[in-house]
Amino acid sequence: MSAHHAIPLKTLLSTTLALVVLTVVTIAVFYLNIPAPFDVVVALFLATFKATLVAMFFMGLYYDEKFNTVVLIFSFLFFFVFIGITLLDTLFRESSISIW
Amino acid sequence: MAHATGTVESHVQHHFKSSDQQFSSAKLGMWLFLFTEIMFFGGLFVAYIVYRAWNPELFTLAATQLDTVLGAVNTVVLIGSSLTVALAIRAAQFDKQKQIINYLLITIFLATVFLVIKYFEYTHKFDMGILPGAMYTFEGIDHPKANVFFSIYYMMTGLHGIHVVIGIGLMVWLVLKAMKGAYTSSYYTPVEITGLYWHLVDIIWIFLFPLMYLID
Repeated sequence: MSAHHAIPLKTLLSTTLALVVLTVVTIAVFYLNIPAPFDVVVALFLATFKATLVAMFFMGLYYDEKFNTVVLIFSFLFFFVFIGITLLDTLFRESSISIW
Repeated sequence: MAHATGTVESHVQHHFKSSDQQFSSAKLGMWLFLFTEIMFFGGLFVAYIVYRAWNPELFTLAATQLDTVLGAVNTVVLIGSSLTVALAIRAAQFDKQKQIINYLLITIFLATVFLVIKYFEYTHKFDMGILPGAMYTFEGIDHPKANVFFSIYYMMTGLHGIHVVIGIGLMVWLVLKAMKGAYTSSYYTPVEITGLYWHLVDIIWIFLFPLMYLID
């Protein structure tokens, strides 16, 4: 696959439309008042889906050399390691210790 | 050039085999930079996660002070600017010099709209005494650590805002170069690379919007 692939106009426009619709869905879900942990889960799922659309079609990863996608995926893997190791500390502290 | 096959274009540096190889390398370099950007913002997202896990009720209370409508408008504005920057790259790929400039100018305009909306949000909060850290004087949120939420809010949206300002600067530079006819279908690397940066700024906001404005 060529790195110089011109992304079809139709793809760019439908990606934009999908992103706007998903933004409306995100806000609609917020007003549905879904109970505690699931509201965040749904909101993050929608945000991740939107980010994937941007990365694939606006940033062209769908047409690009696969190694660029690998770089992006690894950045998220390292980010999850960062979250995981930090939470292993902060979620399990003695309640007697003043946090912050 | 003992092994010259075909024409070697003037923009190709001597250490690259071809224009395509140079273009791919530049893009890979940009993706590696975006990796560091994700880890940069990642630090702030981790702070957000830690403090939200410690004080879930604070985040619910404090988010009511953020204007959902303005946040939503800004989300759509940034999505629109992502489209126009993608169209600028497309214009370059088809040698449409004037369109490159026009689409970049629309992108700069949308980025400015984003910042103006952010300015009104910030000044409205400053007037109420919603400032980060020790400067916080607002009494409308019944929580002893209300200032912690807004310290995180200002750091995250502020860093994102700085990225928008830098993006505008980059696109002004691209417009000036494009006016001199610097970008053609055989060389438009700076437009492509700036586009990647701009889309990442959009992606960060896509996560910031629900995490800051839509909590309940």
